[in-house]
Amino acid sequence: MNILRRSCTAVFCIVLLLSNTVISSATDPEVEQLKRQMEQMQSQMKDMQKKIDDLVERNRKLEGKVVKEEIPVNEKPVTVSTPPFTGKSFLSKSFQSLNPDISAIGLFSAAYYSKDDPLLLAEADPQHTGVNLQEVELGFQSIVDPYFRFDTFISFSKDSVEMEEAYGTTLISLPLNSQLRVGIMKSKFGRINTMHRHTQNFVTLPVVVTRFLGEDFNPPGIEENFLLPLPWYSEFTMAVNYPDVETPSFAEDQDSNNIARLLYNFHLSNFLELSDSLGVNLGASFATGSNGTGRGNRTNLYGLDLYVKYRPIRTSPYQELMLQSEFMYRNAETPEGALDDYGFYTQLVYRFAKRWKAGLRYGLDDTDDPLSFDTELNNKTSVPLAQYNSPVTTALPDQSSGENAGDVLGLFGMEYRISTMLAFTPTEFSLLRLEYDYLNQDFCGDQHAVFLQFQYAIGAHGAHPF
Amino acid sequence: MKNNLIRIFTITIFTSMFAFLAAASAKVNVVTSTPDLAAITKEIGKDKVDVTSLAKGYQDPHFVDAKPSYVLKLNRADLLVKQGLDLEIGWLPVLIIGSRNSKISSKDASGYLDASTLLTNVLEVPEVPIDRSMGDIHPLGNPHYLLDPRNGVAVGKGIAERLSEIDPGNSSFYIANYEDFKKLMINKIAGWEQKLSGVKGFDIITYHKLWSYFDNWAGLKEVDTIELKPGIPPSPSHVAKLLTNAGSLDICMVIAANYYPDKTARVVAEKLGVPFVSLPASVGGTEDIKSYSDLFDTIVDRITSVSVGKK
Repeated sequence: MNILRRSCTAVFCIVLLLSNTVISSATDPEVEQLKRQMEQMQSQMKDMQKKIDDLVERNRKLEGKVVKEEIPVNEKPVTVSTPPFTGKSFLSKSFQSLNPDISAIGLFSAAYYSKDDPLLLAEADPQHTGVNLQEVELGFQSIVDPYFRFDTFISFSKDSVEMEEAYGTTLISLPLNSQLRVGIMKSKFGRINTMHRHTQNFVTLPVVVTRFLGEDFNPPGIEENFLLPLPWYSEFTMAVNYPDVETPSFAEDQDSNNIARLLYNFHLSNFLELSDSLGVNLGASFATGSNGTGRGNRTNLYGLDLYVKYRPIRTSPYQELMLQSEFMYRNAETPEGALDDYGFYTQLVYRFAKRWKAGLRYGLDDTDDPLSFDTELNNKTSVPLAQYNSPVTTALPDQSSGENAGDVLGLFGMEYRISTMLAFTPTEFSLLRLEYDYLNQDFCGDQHAVFLQFQYAIGAHGAHPF
Repeated sequence: MKNNLIRIFTITIFTSMFAFLAAASAKVNVVTSTPDLAAITKEIGKDKVDVTSLAKGYQDPHFVDAKPSYVLKLNRADLLVKQGLDLEIGWLPVLIIGSRNSKISSKDASGYLDASTLLTNVLEVPEVPIDRSMGDIHPLGNPHYLLDPRNGVAVGKGIAERLSEIDPGNSSFYIANYEDFKKLMINKIAGWEQKLSGVKGFDIITYHKLWSYFDNWAGLKEVDTIELKPGIPPSPSHVAKLLTNAGSLDICMVIAANYYPDKTARVVAEKLGVPFVSLPASVGGTEDIKSYSDLFDTIVDRITSVSVGKK
């Protein structure tokens, strides 16, 4: 029995040994191969890692963002820079767009007028009691190429579309420190005419501006702006325009092929920085051109503007006091005789907190020689001062029912308007404004108006108006 | 008599013109958008450059008036250094357009340097699509990066390289000055970090998201802002919520740049029983801060002096 067990064990052992050697002899080359493969892969991976490192390094260098400086501080290295900023996923891509900057600005006003037929309106003033769309302005702005940029502003009202501005500006240095603008521009005549509605401080346009320039004085033209070599900022502008523009003072001439009948505009603007907190801008303007009342009849329009801004940035940086004033004098040849009228406005706006502004404005216009409004004149159909059916021509009460609204020249007499407003700007992109206007016209009595204005701006970040 | 007056007037005009031209040609004329950039440029360029900053140190750089006089400065500039990341978006673009100066008007011009491109790390780049319901948020990231002194060194290097490109004759001078500036800053940074080690990990409340880079460097933890959202002043309900939330945290101070209205910040600090620290956020933020390192001397001093014994 014992022998049997032993022999069995011996046989088992032999079998085990044999099998072992057989297995080992069979697997040995495979293991070797596996080992070799592993080693190969390891070295390949090392190579790849090295290549990746090289690529990353090269990429960083290409991006010019490699700053590798170790600052030994307290024995532990402080890296001046952390890993390169590569932007974030899809968002960074969307910034690289060559589309123009697009913006849309809406102005709406709830209005109450004390008269059924409110008088003296600029185009974008609230037109009636109720809720009014003043305008929606679309802006497209971009650099064209190394030489020009192009800015377009289109103004939509409920039933009309107007090209408010569309002009190219040179970006390169030109002789005499000049800059050329070509297209439709709000002309540099005074100050408020260059400002879009949403940057103005009152709901309505000043009376004198409504009478002499209209909503937009923006004839198509070529404008050259020189920066004068003086110690202070002084810019001289001269422009030649075609007088095809909806303005009460100028219009195309019958003899329109004559370059002397074009509309010429000149402006001089001086800015004096009296201190960090106090700046004064003084300007003078002159525009001359045909007025459409007959061959060779011209209008000469003179303007003076003043803007003073006090902002004590050291003591109370969010408070500002702004005084703005413009004076205009108009001299126009008409078949009925020369018109001689003038007007001005002065406004004081106080920003008393970061988001609050209050303002007061007084505006007046008058004529030395009011044209009598008689039927004879009224029946003439030929000679409007401007072809545009301007507010000037619709201001008389008798006339509002008549059909010949385009026939009366100049101003009828003296009128003034007092406006006061309070504005709240929740952010730079929205605004609420409450305004009260009192209008007195010595030819047809007085009128009260209350407005509540809402403004919204979306899209590209606009420039803060100075 | 009249003729004489005219002659004198003409001569005065012409001499002043000539003086300007002469002055303009002598040195590299650098205009920077913020005073910190001006201070760093001064360290690099020393007497070989004329440096002007448009924004003042005691002024909120988001809201600078685009004064026509700045157009004149840019018109005469050889180099414009701006902070970028949309910090100056409300006022600088319109000035550049008016400048009539090809040297600085194109983004690839040698005279145009957006210092934010020199950074290696921009904080708070939005990772989700943003809109303005989130306040006046900066789509490209937080632009207040010069409040981390290490970024100042990186910007200094970029300015030195750019000055060398514009004025190759003085290249070695600029590079050497940069090396000095770097050495100075390294020493200073070591000192500041040692001082700040005492406040490391402290929770703070700030007024505006102005201190993110500083906090990142100093190891402070900004847990909330007094502003409701970037650029939106605090509402009473926001302040109430802020106080409730802060009650459960271990806030050790409330800080705000000295150009922000400090009334609410003071009230919050008082309610929480912690100190309120008004800090200059830029060179020139207080009269005694003349250089970039002065700025951090002051900030670090003020922070460490009030927080002694806290926490």
